[in-house]
Amino acid sequence: MHRLQRRDFLYGMSASLGTVALNALLQAEEKSTQNSPNPVFEKPLAPRDPHLKPRAKACIFLFMEGGPSHIDTFDPKPALEKLHLKEFVREDKQVSAMASGKRYYIKSPFKHRQAGESGISLCEHFSHLSEVADDLCVYHGLQAESINHPTACYHMNTGNRFGGDPAVGSWMTYGLGTENQNLPAFIVLPEVAYPQGGSANWSNGFLPAYFQGTALRSKGSPILDLNPPAHVTRETQRKNLDLLAKLNQADMQRHPHEDLLAARMESYELAFRMQAQVPDIINLDKETQQTQEMYGLGQPETDSFGRRCLLARKLVEEGVRFVQIYAAGWDSHDYLDRSHKARMQAVDKPIAALLKDLKGRGLLDETLVVWTGEFGRSPDNGIRSGRQAAGRDHNAKGMSLWMAGGGVKAGHRIGATDEIGDHAVEVVNPIRNLHVTLEHIMGLDDNQLTYFHEGRFKVLSQTGGAVIKELLG
Amino acid sequence: MRVLSSQPVRKLSLLICFGMIIAIQSGSGFLFSEETKISPMEQFFLQKIRPLLEQKCLGCHGKTPDDIKGEYIMLNREALIKGGESGEPSIIVGKPEQSPFWNAVTWKDENIQMPPQERNRLNAAEIADLKQWIADGAVWSDQKLVPSETKGTASGTELAMSTSGGQSPTWTGRTYQPEDIWAYQSIQRPAVPWKALTVKQSGERHPIDAFIQQKLQQKQLVSSKPADRKTLLRRATYDLTGLPPTAKQVTEFFTSDGDAAWSSFIKRLLQTPQYGEQMAQTWIDVVRYADTSGFANDYERPNAWRYRDYLVRSFNADKPYDRFIIEQLAGDELDSEDPEMLFATGFLRSGPWEHTGMSVAAITRQLFLDDITQSVGVSFLAHSFRCAKCHDHKFDPVPTRDYYRIQAVFAPVQFADRKVAYQSHENISGFAEMKVRTERLIEESRAEQERFKQKTNAAIAAWLKKEGFKNLKQVAADKRPPLRWFGLTEHEKSLLKINNKRIDYFERELKRYEPYAFSVYNGPPNNYRSTKAVNLIPGPKKKQREIQQTFILAGGAVTAPTEKVTPGVLSAVAGSNNVEEPNAWNTIPNSQEGRRLALARWIASSNNTLTARVIVNRIWQIHFGTGLVATPNNFGQKGAKPSHPELLDWLATWFMDHGWSIKKLHHLIMTSNTYQQSSHPANQEQTQTQDPNNQFLSHYPTRRMTAEQIRDSLLLITNELNPEMGGPGVFPEINWEVALQPRHIMGSVAPAYQPMPRPEQRNRRTLYAFRYRTLSDPMLEVFNRPGSESSCERRDETTVTPQAFALFNGQFTHDRAVALAHKIKQETASTPEAIKQIFQAVVLRTPEPAELTVTLKHVADMQSYHQAHPPQKVSLPREVKREMIEELTGESFTWTEKLDLTDNYIQDLKPWDVDAETRALAELCLVLMNSNEFVYLR
Repeated sequence: MHRLQRRDFLYGMSASLGTVALNALLQAEEKSTQNSPNPVFEKPLAPRDPHLKPRAKACIFLFMEGGPSHIDTFDPKPALEKLHLKEFVREDKQVSAMASGKRYYIKSPFKHRQAGESGISLCEHFSHLSEVADDLCVYHGLQAESINHPTACYHMNTGNRFGGDPAVGSWMTYGLGTENQNLPAFIVLPEVAYPQGGSANWSNGFLPAYFQGTALRSKGSPILDLNPPAHVTRETQRKNLDLLAKLNQADMQRHPHEDLLAARMESYELAFRMQAQVPDIINLDKETQQTQEMYGLGQPETDSFGRRCLLARKLVEEGVRFVQIYAAGWDSHDYLDRSHKARMQAVDKPIAALLKDLKGRGLLDETLVVWTGEFGRSPDNGIRSGRQAAGRDHNAKGMSLWMAGGGVKAGHRIGATDEIGDHAVEVVNPIRNLHVTLEHIMGLDDNQLTYFHEGRFKVLSQTGGAVIKELLG
Repeated sequence: MRVLSSQPVRKLSLLICFGMIIAIQSGSGFLFSEETKISPMEQFFLQKIRPLLEQKCLGCHGKTPDDIKGEYIMLNREALIKGGESGEPSIIVGKPEQSPFWNAVTWKDENIQMPPQERNRLNAAEIADLKQWIADGAVWSDQKLVPSETKGTASGTELAMSTSGGQSPTWTGRTYQPEDIWAYQSIQRPAVPWKALTVKQSGERHPIDAFIQQKLQQKQLVSSKPADRKTLLRRATYDLTGLPPTAKQVTEFFTSDGDAAWSSFIKRLLQTPQYGEQMAQTWIDVVRYADTSGFANDYERPNAWRYRDYLVRSFNADKPYDRFIIEQLAGDELDSEDPEMLFATGFLRSGPWEHTGMSVAAITRQLFLDDITQSVGVSFLAHSFRCAKCHDHKFDPVPTRDYYRIQAVFAPVQFADRKVAYQSHENISGFAEMKVRTERLIEESRAEQERFKQKTNAAIAAWLKKEGFKNLKQVAADKRPPLRWFGLTEHEKSLLKINNKRIDYFERELKRYEPYAFSVYNGPPNNYRSTKAVNLIPGPKKKQREIQQTFILAGGAVTAPTEKVTPGVLSAVAGSNNVEEPNAWNTIPNSQEGRRLALARWIASSNNTLTARVIVNRIWQIHFGTGLVATPNNFGQKGAKPSHPELLDWLATWFMDHGWSIKKLHHLIMTSNTYQQSSHPANQEQTQTQDPNNQFLSHYPTRRMTAEQIRDSLLLITNELNPEMGGPGVFPEINWEVALQPRHIMGSVAPAYQPMPRPEQRNRRTLYAFRYRTLSDPMLEVFNRPGSESSCERRDETTVTPQAFALFNGQFTHDRAVALAHKIKQETASTPEAIKQIFQAVVLRTPEPAELTVTLKHVADMQSYHQAHPPQKVSLPREVKREMIEELTGESFTWTEKLDLTDNYIQDLKPWDVDAETRALAELCLVLMNSNEFVYLR
C-alpha cells in the first residue's frame, strides 16, 4: 500500500483499461484529501498481500435477515419442554416495552437431530444440511447489542449500529483487493425487498467508492440503468459516445492540467462494455441440470435462494472476494412452527448444495462460508390477541451462527447459551470479535487494516477486538 | 438477568461498576520525582499497573468510602489485597491464578467480571502485566509520576490545559503540543501582510490576497491569471445559487464591466431567493435534515419541512450567524410565542431516531442525548464529542466529564409537536388537493379492511352456530377460537397486514396538513413510548416530576451511571472552565429552563475560540472546495491543521466585526483576486511539485457539481424547473424500479413511491424533494449525495461508472434532452442555429467551428436514423406487483398495489411526442449534458 503521485495513478488506470471490466462499476478516482495518511492505490482492486497467512481466500456470507431463532435451529433447549407456557419473569431492570407484560416460556415446535460423526444438533427441517454437519462449526457464544432490525443488521454488517461505516466485505476488499479484475470484488445478492436499513448494509462507508458492495438485483435490471431507455439502440448509443469523446477530448486539451477528466471519460467506455457483459455473468443456464436440481432451482420454495447460492459459487470460482446473500423472513414473533419451518426449507437444500459443490470443486478449503442473522430470539413470548403467541421476540444476548470451510473448526459446537437459550454463557464474545475473527481467517489483522477518518484510524472492530480462537481449526 | 441459574448466585465481592479508559501514555514521557531508589518492581508498578488501575478500576473503587462499589477500595496495597464485601482476600500475593482479583479481570468467574462492560475489558497485554505484577509480589509505590521537563520539541514546550478534569490524574495532567490545541486559543487579530502585494493603492488591494500571496511567495508559487468573465459568472452563480446563470444574468453581466460591476453582480446574486436554497442545502449536509425518522420506523415527520424552510428564510434574510445558532439550539426558550423560534428548534430533532416495541426506553432516550451532543459538537464547534463518550478524549483536551456536562444541557429536552398556525409566508398551496387524496386512500384501505373483518365475523358466527353457542360471551375464554384473523386465508392475513400498514402510513401523512412545528419543550421525562406522528406537550401532571439527572456513564453504557454532573460547556476553550473560573458566560444554570439558551450564548459568542472560525471555514469551503481547515467538522488534534492560520483568524475577526453576516463574508471572499483567478495554473510543473493538492491556491480549484446541482441545472436549462419555494416535500420522478421496490417499514412494506402527477409539482428544486432516510433517489446517490445518518462536512467527488449509467442511460437525462431540444427548436429557424443555442444553454458558449461541423453531421445522421425509427410509446404502470417474505408463514407472498397517481399523470415530454429532427437534436443535448465541460465548475 504505497502512496503514489496522481500521475502514476492515472497511468496505472489507463494501463489497466485494456481489461474489459465489470469492476468498472468501481473504477473511480478519489479527490484526495489534503494530507491524508490513507493509501492511494495504483490499482485499487488488484490483489494485495494479506497481513497473515490466510485460511480462506474468499467469503460467502449468508445473512438470515430477521433474526433466526437459535433455539429452533441449532441450539435446542429441552428445558423449555417442561416450562412451556409457564410464566417467565425477567430480572433485567432495562426491559423493552414488548417484554414488559406477562411473559411465557415457549418450547420449540420442532424435533432436533444429531447429525454426522460430530453429532451436531440441527433442526429436523435442516435435512439436507445434516448431510454436511461435519463441515459446520456451530457457534453459540456470540452476543449482539441492538434489538432492532436495522441497527442490528448494521452492527453485524459494518460494526456500527447506526450505519454509515464500511461493510465487512468492503474492509476485506480494501485489505485484499480481488483475484478477478473483471468482476466486482464485493457482490451482494439481496432479496427483491432489500433488508431493513437498505443498501447502507453494503456501503463502502468512509472507504473509497471502489470498495462498495455491488448489488445484483433479483428483479428487473440487475444494475440500475444498466441499459438506456427502450428506444435507444446500441448503434446510436455508440455514436453518441463517440461524439462525447470528441467534445471531451477538445475540452481536455483546453484544460490539460485537470487530471480528473480522463478518468471520467473512461468510465463511459467501461459502462458501455458492461452493458454487453453483465447478462452473461449472471446467466446460470450453462450449469448442468444436475447442479441446478441440487441447488433447488425450479422448485418454488428453494428457487430464489438456490439461484443466488449457485451464482455465489460461480462468482467465488471466478475469483470474487466476498459474496453476501440475503434470506429474509426470519422475524417469527408468532406462528413459529409454520414460518421457521418454511424459512429453513427455503435455505436448507441450497446451502447444503453450496457446501457440497464447493467441496467437490476443492474450493471449500479456501472459502469461508458464514451463516448468521442479526440476533437470536427469546425463549419466551408475550400475549398477542389474547393468547400466548407461538413465536419468539428479539434476543441480542443469545444466538447461533455457523461457519464452514476456510480453516474453521469443522464438526464442532463452540460456546453455549444457558439452559433456556436466554443468553450466551460460554465462549461469550461480542460482534466485533467475530469481525476480527473473519478478518483473521482471511489473513487480515484488524489492528493493521485501518483507514484514517474523522480524526482517527478506524478499524472494522471499531475499538479493537480479539480473535475467537476456539472457532479456528 | 440470569434466569434458572444452575448454581446459587454467589454474593458478589465486586459489584458492577468500573473506571474509564484513557489514552495509554508510554513511560518514556515521564520522569520520577525522585530519580533514585526506584526498584524495577516499583517502576513496573508506576509505569504499567497504576495507570491501568486509574483507567479501569478507580472510577468505582477509588472514591470516598461511602461511594465505593462492592466495598472494595483499590487506593492502596493493603486495601487492594484485602478485598471487598465478600470478606475473602482479593489478591494472594505471588499466586495470580489463585487470586479472585485475577479471576475477575480475566472474566474466568462468570459472577465477577471486571471491568464489567464488554467494551472495557482488559486486553491480553494488560492481563499479562497484572499477572506478572501479582507473581512478582504486588509491589506498590506512592511516588509521583510527573511529566518530563525535558519533553520540549521542535515546536516548543508542551502545554497543560485547564479542563473540568479527566477520570484520572494522569489524563488531567497531560500536556499538548501547541499546534494541536490551536483551536482552543483565543482568536487573534493579525495584521494584514500588505507587503506581500505589489499593488500599493489601498483601494485596489484585498486583504485575502495579501494573506494568500504571502504563503505563495514562501512556496515560490505564483497565482494564475484572472479567469475569463464567462467562467467567473458561472462559478459565482453556482456558488451562491446552486444553479447556472440565466440568460438575463448573462446579459446583465456582460453589459457591465469593472470591479464595481462585479461587486454589484455578487450583491444581486445574494439577493436572489435561490441563495437561501443553496445555503440551506449546505447546512442540511451538516445537520442531516430528512423528512422521515430512519431505521425501522422510517415514517414521515409530517412537519419537519417547516425547519427546512426556516433555514432558507434565515439565509436569505442574512440572519446574523450568532442569532442563527441561538435560535436553532434554544428558540423555544428565547421566545416560544414566535413561530420562527419553534421551527428553528427542529435542529434538535434532525437526526435519525427510532423506538420500537423491542426498544428499551432508557436506551432510546440515551441515544437521542448522545445524538444531540454529537450534533452540537460537530455542527457549531467542529468537535466530535462522541470520542469522549466512553473515556476522556484520547487526543484532545475533552474530558468525558465535559461530554456529560454538555449532554446535561439537553436533559430537560422532550420532543413535542407544537401547534403553530401556518404563516403567510409558508407555502401550503397544494394542501387541499393532496389531503383529498390521502383521505381517499385511507377510505379505500378501510373499506378493504372491512371486507376482511366481515369475513372474520362470518367465520366466527359459523363457528358459534356449529358449536351451538349464541354469542362469544357464552364461550369460556380458553375455549374460544383464535379470534384474530379467524377464517382468513394466509394470503388474506398478509393483505390485511399490508393494509393496516397503509392506513397507519396515510394517517400519519394526514398530519402533514395540520399546523404543528417539529419542536421540543423542557420538562421531566414524558415517557413517550410511541412513534406517533404527533406528540403534543403533555398536561401538567406529566410535567411535575424531576428533570432527568445526568451521570457520567462508565463505558458510555446507560446501565453504568457513575458520577452525577451538572450542565456545563467545553471547558478547554480559553476562558471557559467554570470549574476554576466561573462567570456568566461559561456557566449553565441547573434549572429546567434556560440551559440551552446559556449553552447557545456560550457558543454564539465572540469569546468562543471555535465558533467564528468554524463557520468562516465552512463558507471558505463553499468557494474553494476545501476549507482553510480541510476537516470542517474536526478542529481537534487529528483534524487537518489550518493551511493559513492567520487568514482564518483574520476572517473570523472580520466576520464578527461585521455583525456575523454571512452574506458580507461571501462578498468579501468573492471580491478577492484569489477567488477571481483562473483554474489554469501559471506554472503547472511548479504547482505539481510544490503544491500538488493546491492547498495554497495558486490557481482556482476545479470541482464537480453536486448531485443536486446537476439535477436542478438540467431542469433549469430546459425551462422545466418550477421555482416555487417551500412547503412539504414533493415527489419527483426517480428511477421507477427503485420507486416500486418494496421498502420495509416496521415489519411490513410502505406504500409504493409515486411521483406527483403534474410536471410543475415534481420538477421543483431538489431541496424540496421529500427526503427519506431509507429510500434515496439513486441518481443523487451515485453523485455522492451523503446519507442522512451522520453529518457530512464536505461532499466526496468520486468518479464511478454508475454515474455514467445514471446520466447517460437514466430516464431523467433523456427526458431533459428531449425537453431542451424541443424548446430550442421552437426558438430557432435552422439546425446550425439550434446547435449553437444548445451549446449556449448547456455549456454557456457557442461551438467552435470544428465542433459545429462535427455536431451538424451528428445531428444529420441521427435525424435520418430517427426518421426511420419512430419510438414506441411506453405507458406508465397503473399497478405494481409486489413481493416479500411473509413473517407469518416464512413464504414468499405477492400482491398487487394500485398506482393511483398514474391514472391522470402528465408525463414530461417524451421522444414519441416530438418529431425526428427534435429527437436528433435531443441526442446532442444528451451528449452535452454528459460532457465534462458541463459537470465541472472551473
